[in-house]
Amino acid sequence: MTRPLEGIRIADFTVHAAGPFCTHMLSQLGAECIKIETALRPDIFRKPHAVYGRAGPATFDQVASNKLSVRLNLKHPDGVALAKQLVAVSDVAAESFRAGVMKRLGLGYDALRGVREDIVMVSVSSSGQTGPDSHFAGYAPLFGAWGGLGYLSGYRDGPPVEMRHVMDHSVGMNAALATVAALHKRRRTGKGSHVDVAAREVASSLVGDALAAASAGAAPERMGNDDPQRAPHGLYPTAEADRWLSLAVGTDAAWHRLAALMGQPGLGRDPRFSTAADRVANRAQVDAAVTGWSRTQQPETAAASLQRAGIPAHLSWRASDIVADPHMRARGAIVDVTETDGATRAAVGFPARFSGSDQPGMTRGTPELGEHEAYVFGDLLGLAQARIRDLIAERAIY
Amino acid sequence: MEDPRPLDGIRVVERASGVAAAYAGRLLAAMGAEVFMAEPPDHSPLRREAPFLPGGGSALFAYLGAEKRSVLCDLADPVDREAFHGLVAAAQILIDDTPVADRAGQGLDPASVAARHPHLVHLSVLPFGAEGPKAGWCGAEINMIHAGGEGFLLPNGLSADLFPDRPPLKIAGHFAEMQGGVAAALAGLSALWSGQGQFVDASVQDANVAVGAFAVQRFGDGSVEHRSTRSFRYGGVIECRDGFVELLTLEERQWEGLVDLLGRPDWATDPALRDAAERSSRGDTINANIRDWASDQPVADLVARAQELGVPMAPYNTPDEILAGRQETARGIFREVAGPGEENVRVQSAPFRFGAQPLPVAQAAPAPGADQHLLVAHPPREARKVQA
Repeated sequence: MTRPLEGIRIADFTVHAAGPFCTHMLSQLGAECIKIETALRPDIFRKPHAVYGRAGPATFDQVASNKLSVRLNLKHPDGVALAKQLVAVSDVAAESFRAGVMKRLGLGYDALRGVREDIVMVSVSSSGQTGPDSHFAGYAPLFGAWGGLGYLSGYRDGPPVEMRHVMDHSVGMNAALATVAALHKRRRTGKGSHVDVAAREVASSLVGDALAAASAGAAPERMGNDDPQRAPHGLYPTAEADRWLSLAVGTDAAWHRLAALMGQPGLGRDPRFSTAADRVANRAQVDAAVTGWSRTQQPETAAASLQRAGIPAHLSWRASDIVADPHMRARGAIVDVTETDGATRAAVGFPARFSGSDQPGMTRGTPELGEHEAYVFGDLLGLAQARIRDLIAERAIY
Repeated sequence: MEDPRPLDGIRVVERASGVAAAYAGRLLAAMGAEVFMAEPPDHSPLRREAPFLPGGGSALFAYLGAEKRSVLCDLADPVDREAFHGLVAAAQILIDDTPVADRAGQGLDPASVAARHPHLVHLSVLPFGAEGPKAGWCGAEINMIHAGGEGFLLPNGLSADLFPDRPPLKIAGHFAEMQGGVAAALAGLSALWSGQGQFVDASVQDANVAVGAFAVQRFGDGSVEHRSTRSFRYGGVIECRDGFVELLTLEERQWEGLVDLLGRPDWATDPALRDAAERSSRGDTINANIRDWASDQPVADLVARAQELGVPMAPYNTPDEILAGRQETARGIFREVAGPGEENVRVQSAPFRFGAQPLPVAQAAPAPGADQHLLVAHPPREARKVQA
């Protein structure tokens, strides 16, 4: 067996988080991903940013894992020429610069089609390749703000909430999906595509239901952890400090089971809480009753008991819980990856398992800048050693 | 004539009671796949889920059901089950979120499906996946955002400052379940690409851990993140005269642009602040100054000036502002379709496109059983009941 996307090659010009996560997903699925950077300006996620208030880099190790690394100076004509040669032997060219940058570099969609007619070019940007805002710069919290996800998230009496890296990576996951769809189109029609992924549109797609409601005259607003049809619904304290139990009771039967589990079957018969509508209307009393019970409970035991009773419940997990979880380990959702320096760390695997293909996953850690140039420039592009040395001397490979 | 869509010719059967599986189907439908919702006789429970339209119908279903077809089939009924398998036989992908414990009883366990449809990509979409010690666990949206790790880290920034003692906060809507849907669709299409009929086991929890990979990496680096400490040192959610903006400067030139935007006040031109580490350590003071200055600024004007200076800033758009937004309008991302009642609704097709034009949304979410005639060799339900 092979992995599902074995045989697909990606020329990966992406930087930051969203674009690299797209190609990271595709590489876990078996695509060969060649990351293109330059020492003049390495991917800014290779370095730490003080605004995060810590010394280490961001997600670079995760999203760079599995990738091959080459240097190319795209401001040098020979660097651009080499980039085109690489695209000519690739199925996918992915990039995440501001709209227009690839064209200015001489690497726009038309230029890439000139070297490979059926190339699938994937452009990930904040606002899309077209429209009056297409030149806008942005990061995850801005995508969420533009797209409504930020406005609609938050406490009822509080401000909007900023989305973090999950927003970036959600953009990347959508981009990976669109890339595979474009490959299917190529297989069927012989034609490539320019896939245009707009991060703010990913944010709005995640609240597409609220936007549909608003378009008909409803006025959706922030509602904290509440659900308009369910109570109890939210985060409840347990016997351990800052160890929260998430709970969602959606049916009368589940409410009766919860009341029994809490040792208060009378609550199940209390007319104030008879129906979901009653429980929602009396949410404060419902929450008080559940909190009175939950704060005496051992967290993991309570979650397991609730699940045994068929009640949707889960603790609010920290990274330490996830990394150690036997279920996640058994699924390969958490894997150990070995870095170039020999150190091993926990990393996130692909979020699905396949019965008829080799499992997606990571085969190597973060590449050093330019680590795979002998393979890419020599074996793949057929450049002689002397020519490679010249290009390095000229800083086209740099 | 509109361009062909990337998944034209691909047929999908969707057996979905939750958002994740339905969203996977929705994304495939948006890209051109013909997606049949095989609803139970009492209809998809998603038709009864909030948010609601003013006329009472489900806006969630109007969004998730667009571009799909609907047939009703009762998998406990042998005739219906045969008709269902007739539909599946002509499909490339079956999306299913039936709980693991109920699958065999409905003939939907992987072995039975594979025996009957060896060509098929059988795409299972469950909260905790179909395999592993917690495969039987159930999970609603609020459980999944916390099982994936991001819930524990929310809110941060201004909300965390204002309400430090409140419990963690979910993201609006069905964020976590939709991550599961996107990842499942990606997995399903990748399996189809391989040409190998197979069972694909997608998990909403796994998808959320994947998009939350940052926290796992930080743990590997030796620290456990917490919502109270992961706020940006400066910037973030900033209140203005008529709303909120988001501000984030990661690069040096962006900070320099911000100083210009602020009008180069003395505090911001302090030479010590040219050092990023120093800015980080003085973040509270910087933000106090930014907040004081921004409180009198109008959002639209401020964002326009910021972007001109290369300062990453965006408005916290309301739903109405998005629906009427100049960028959204120019790109045509919303299409108006008939709602379940009297009113029309506008739905977004997909957050990506395969050329200059957006993917179309031609069909509103169908009425239950609207495509019943397409069930192969299957008499109408009402007729069969009369015969019985």
